[in-house]
Amino acid sequence: MFVAPAILVYFGLTAYPAFRTIFDSFFTINGPGDTVFAGIQNYRDLWHDEIFWAAVRNTFIWSFIAPFLDVGTGLLLALALYAGVPFARFFRVAWFTPVLLSYVVVAILWMWIYNYDWGFVNIALRTLGLGSLAQSWLGNPNTALAALIVTHAWKWAGFNMVVCLAAIHSLPSEVLEASELDNCGWGAKLRYIIVPMLRPTLLNLYILAFIGKMKIFDLVWIMTQGGPLWSTETVSTYVYKRAFNWNTFDLGYPSAIAAVWFGVVCAAVLLLNRLLASRERLEF
Amino acid sequence: MITTSLPRLFSRGTLAAIIGLYTFYTLAPFVWLATMSVRTTGEISLDHYAWPKPFHWGQFRSAWIDSDFATYFWNSTIVVTSAVVVVTLIGAAAAHCLARFRFAGNRLIYGILFSSIIFPPQITLISLYQILVDYNLYDNLFGLTLVYISLQLPLTVYLLEGFFARIPQDLFDAAKIDGYGDIEIFWRIVLPVGMPAIATTLILNFIQLWNEFLFAVVLITDPSKRTLPIGIRGFMGDHFQDIGLIATGVMISVIPVIVVYMFFSEKLIRGMTAGAIK
Repeated sequence: MFVAPAILVYFGLTAYPAFRTIFDSFFTINGPGDTVFAGIQNYRDLWHDEIFWAAVRNTFIWSFIAPFLDVGTGLLLALALYAGVPFARFFRVAWFTPVLLSYVVVAILWMWIYNYDWGFVNIALRTLGLGSLAQSWLGNPNTALAALIVTHAWKWAGFNMVVCLAAIHSLPSEVLEASELDNCGWGAKLRYIIVPMLRPTLLNLYILAFIGKMKIFDLVWIMTQGGPLWSTETVSTYVYKRAFNWNTFDLGYPSAIAAVWFGVVCAAVLLLNRLLASRERLEF
Repeated sequence: MITTSLPRLFSRGTLAAIIGLYTFYTLAPFVWLATMSVRTTGEISLDHYAWPKPFHWGQFRSAWIDSDFATYFWNSTIVVTSAVVVVTLIGAAAAHCLARFRFAGNRLIYGILFSSIIFPPQITLISLYQILVDYNLYDNLFGLTLVYISLQLPLTVYLLEGFFARIPQDLFDAAKIDGYGDIEIFWRIVLPVGMPAIATTLILNFIQLWNEFLFAVVLITDPSKRTLPIGIRGFMGDHFQDIGLIATGVMISVIPVIVVYMFFSEKLIRGMTAGAIK
């Protein structure tokens, strides 16, 4: 059977590990051969773990709010290109570039952009005479999460733009022309025609962005490692820290976090899908 | 396209401003990075935004040879290339099977494979670490390759299944009459006819794995086995101040992606967004 190797790989390297993680979450695992049954103790500890809750809070803020930024920017850019500018193809390709860069590259670039002494943001502020606003963007607990969200949006706006553009091009142009005849301002056009007609696409993009952000790790890990003061800790970085970075030598507890989060992500996706797009089937 | 008949959504000035600013916003950081990659750290700290003068191409030499970026580069190349080849073959076989043959559990297999796209990676990360340790594949490029195959498999099957399902059945019937076996049909018909979709997934998988960080950082510890993303991060940890050379290393990792993108931009954009466009 042609499908056999794929199933083998899937069960060996995805399904089995996933079950094993859930199984492990009921144990304290200090190393090979040193495994103690812990019952639901890991989950009980998790409930009282303040860092975990901080991580959940940050991840939720990121996942629910930031997609509006991504999708909104994407839509705006797509509309700009749709308005018929010369070299639209060039702009489309150029704007898509950040999507292809690795998080490591994006993170390093933006750490420099946010640098206190010579980063572009602070230099621009000082040049504009707003030097008092210049700050260590990633070092300040109040701005670090926002700074990461902006960076992440920089990477993904191009993706949303391409999808929106394709969707706009597939809209029947008669509708837009009719609105033109009716002397619709572009604000009204956007509000009453374009956004409602693109609803399925926009919801789809929102859910995709949501899923991506629930998993976010690389960018945070390289730029702030979850600091300062857990202000950018996400669930993924916390799992990583507990499993591989802190010298706690216990794989059971991070497995419990991973298992809980797995449930949360699946539930959230199902729920969003139900709530937002009851008539649209979710497609990735 | 007849642009005149399209309704205007913005005034000309707003439009130019949006487009100009956004292009600056996406490309300027990149240009900045490129200029720094050919300047020495000393020059950079005098003025971070000056144009390189002269161009220190030697920076690439020293990153490549003295700072182990050659090792990282080849590690990445070996792991990513083999993972992409294997996942494409396995994925294409599975996609062909799911798209062509009706059997009990067909949609179930598809659904299960497909649903794992939303899995947060942590659910497999910790146990994969344990499993690889058990089988002596931890800190081993072969082990990483296996994991990469499993990571990209669902997406590959999903993208190819959609395309293969649209290959006309007549083609297969004709091949059967000519006496082709199942394997021959796959080699001689499905793969060549499906080439556009296969090329898209090849490029897409290549870029995604080339950029992969989380599993690499967990499963590889030996500095001589690092792939580019973790190599760059390791280098940055050791030489935090050496901005010039960090920029050079970053450029080394970005150049293959940019080259691929220049040749296949449309394919790549289509591949990346295929999931979101119905």
